[in-house]
Amino acid sequence: MIQVFNLQKMYNGVNVLDIPELTISQGESFGLVGNNGAGKTTLFRLILDLVEASNGHVEIENQKVARNDRWKAIVGSFLDEGFLIDYLTPEEYFSFVGRLYHKSKGDIAEFMESMQDFFNGEITGTQKLIRDFSKGNQKKIGITAALLGDPKILILDEPFTALDPSTQIRLKRFLNDLQEKTGIAMLISSHDLNHITEVCKRIVVLEKGLVVKDIKTNTETLKELESYFAV
Amino acid sequence: MTVLNLLKQEWLKNRRAKAFYKNLTVNIILSLMIFYFAAIFLFIGFNLGSQLEKFNALLGLNPVELFNGAMIYVVLVGIFFRLFMQQLGTINLFAYQMLPVKRSTIVNFLLFKSLVSPLNYLTLLIVIPFALTSVNSYYDGATAFRFVLNTVFIIWFNSLFAAFLKRRFTSGFTSFVLLISIIAAIAAMEYFKLFSLFSVSSALFGFLLHRAWGSLLVLVIPVAAFVLNRWFFARNYYPEYFNRKIEKTQAGTSVNLSFLDRFGSIGDFMALELKLILRHKRTRSLLYMSVFLLFYGLIFYTNKMYTESVGMLFFVAIFMTGFLMFMYGQWVISWDSAYFDGMMTKNITIRHYIKANYNLLVAFNAICFILTTPYFFFGVKIIQMHIAAFLFNTGVNTIILLFFSTYNTKRINLSQGTAFNYQGTTFKNYLVVIPMMFFPMALVGTLSFFLETFVIMVILACIGLTGIIFHKPLITLCVNQFNKRKYVLAQGFRESE
Repeated sequence: MIQVFNLQKMYNGVNVLDIPELTISQGESFGLVGNNGAGKTTLFRLILDLVEASNGHVEIENQKVARNDRWKAIVGSFLDEGFLIDYLTPEEYFSFVGRLYHKSKGDIAEFMESMQDFFNGEITGTQKLIRDFSKGNQKKIGITAALLGDPKILILDEPFTALDPSTQIRLKRFLNDLQEKTGIAMLISSHDLNHITEVCKRIVVLEKGLVVKDIKTNTETLKELESYFAV
Repeated sequence: MTVLNLLKQEWLKNRRAKAFYKNLTVNIILSLMIFYFAAIFLFIGFNLGSQLEKFNALLGLNPVELFNGAMIYVVLVGIFFRLFMQQLGTINLFAYQMLPVKRSTIVNFLLFKSLVSPLNYLTLLIVIPFALTSVNSYYDGATAFRFVLNTVFIIWFNSLFAAFLKRRFTSGFTSFVLLISIIAAIAAMEYFKLFSLFSVSSALFGFLLHRAWGSLLVLVIPVAAFVLNRWFFARNYYPEYFNRKIEKTQAGTSVNLSFLDRFGSIGDFMALELKLILRHKRTRSLLYMSVFLLFYGLIFYTNKMYTESVGMLFFVAIFMTGFLMFMYGQWVISWDSAYFDGMMTKNITIRHYIKANYNLLVAFNAICFILTTPYFFFGVKIIQMHIAAFLFNTGVNTIILLFFSTYNTKRINLSQGTAFNYQGTTFKNYLVVIPMMFFPMALVGTLSFFLETFVIMVILACIGLTGIIFHKPLITLCVNQFNKRKYVLAQGFRESE
């Protein structure tokens, strides 16, 4: 579904990402871990065509993503607050995004209803603008909007940070359910090794732009990762 | 002492801000503007005395008495302008709240900060020359000194009182309407000779001017304004009280825009942009200002100097039928800077995105054209000009703006500041105005040597129409340009200042 060919990204002559080959297939839950500056966000931005690759390219469903609009219909993503239109209320934002994905008012209302558990009663029904919500609640709004277009691929950058404990647990359960039901491909990065091993069936470790580990999650994975990152 | 320290830190904050160096061009243009106004003010100051002298025989009042009579209006108009232009003093409260700095020190700092702004004292450039010439010759040096001193006190009062009004009525709109109706009511009463504030003002300020202790009495009003502000802060010290007020204004601005749903995704984008304009201070105050711009035509279309030059007149017509595009259009694309990444990954093709922005600019022009139709009463020439200018703006200038907007790679922060905020503005923003406004003006000016006005307008209208007819390939041009610059834009928008 997602294929990476010979991908390199350089800033000022320094190679920050170098992935010769990587394939993520349909229905896979793909976890990305690594320390700060390992290139996680850069990889996601390259997949989403937000930065230009120095070499190589990314393909989604056998089409290059660069300067192409096709993939946008099947990819839902949330990397940071730069994905939110912060002067709208959550409802206005959802309906704006929903209409971009050709959803009717009824579809959007139904979808929001199904998310009520995740919202925990904090998101909808107020006249508050997104910019006045806390970081955690903004994250909830962003993740919800990413799911709004029934994507085949979901890309989330550190979805667990800034969420309160209950919401972290809820999000984990939600993502696992979603994957079981829809067979969506998920790309998730995280600093939290616990969460990522619980949600993802395949985990890739990046270090200084290179893939150093690519493992199928099993009962030993958490220990393996912990010992890898231990200093 | 602490207040002085805080003022010093504020100065360092401004000096060390990245924007200070980055925006050198903007700063130079701004200082040129200030010099320009200073020169005008000085000129007025030195000539005011002799101009007012002419009324001496007519009304039997000397220039100083006349000035005193007008003083109350100077005060009102001063407050009015300050409501728009003066930026409220702010402080990073959290950085100081946990330090042993007294509350009252912080409040004093906020209040004094507005008083040290040199812009406040531009009026003195009129008053001091006037005092040196007229007041000095009619009375004596001591009176002239008191005259200047009183003005300084009045400036303090204006500045403090405007700040109070602005803080009290957060939106500024309430006080805007209130003040404009007060000024209009007083002026009307003056005009119909029902009640003359002029003579009251003349008597009052004359009385204060000629007593040695008069200035002390004038000093009472800024002190009173100061106390008023202190009282306000005593009641609303914690930021949460301000927040509560902000929430209230939100409910007010969430106007019903559902009628735009009918226009499909273009309507969605228009609704989005309208919300952007209404929910940010910076864009909202521009909207208030555009009300004044609507009346700009009255100055030019009635002035012989302009009506005789076809090129100049067309310049005005271009501006009048496109002022919304010129004001908001300079931010086209970059107003999405805060959520550009999101926009680029959602299900919307680049072509659709550019088309939506194009349609928005066209809609702005249509609104301007309709709003300026009352100028049609100024004659057939103006009608021709407005139609030609509207077509030119819509066909040509929209494309120019969209094409060059891809060079504005700076993130703009709309939630900060008010009318005179130049954050995110670079010389490129000014550069693009040249082909849009001066080129058609020069073209029309040159053609006017050979052709009749009507023929020129037909030519310009045809150029515009050509642009409108071929908007599809022209938009493709913009789309290709945008695709070329997309990554540079995304990179630039991610960097906040």
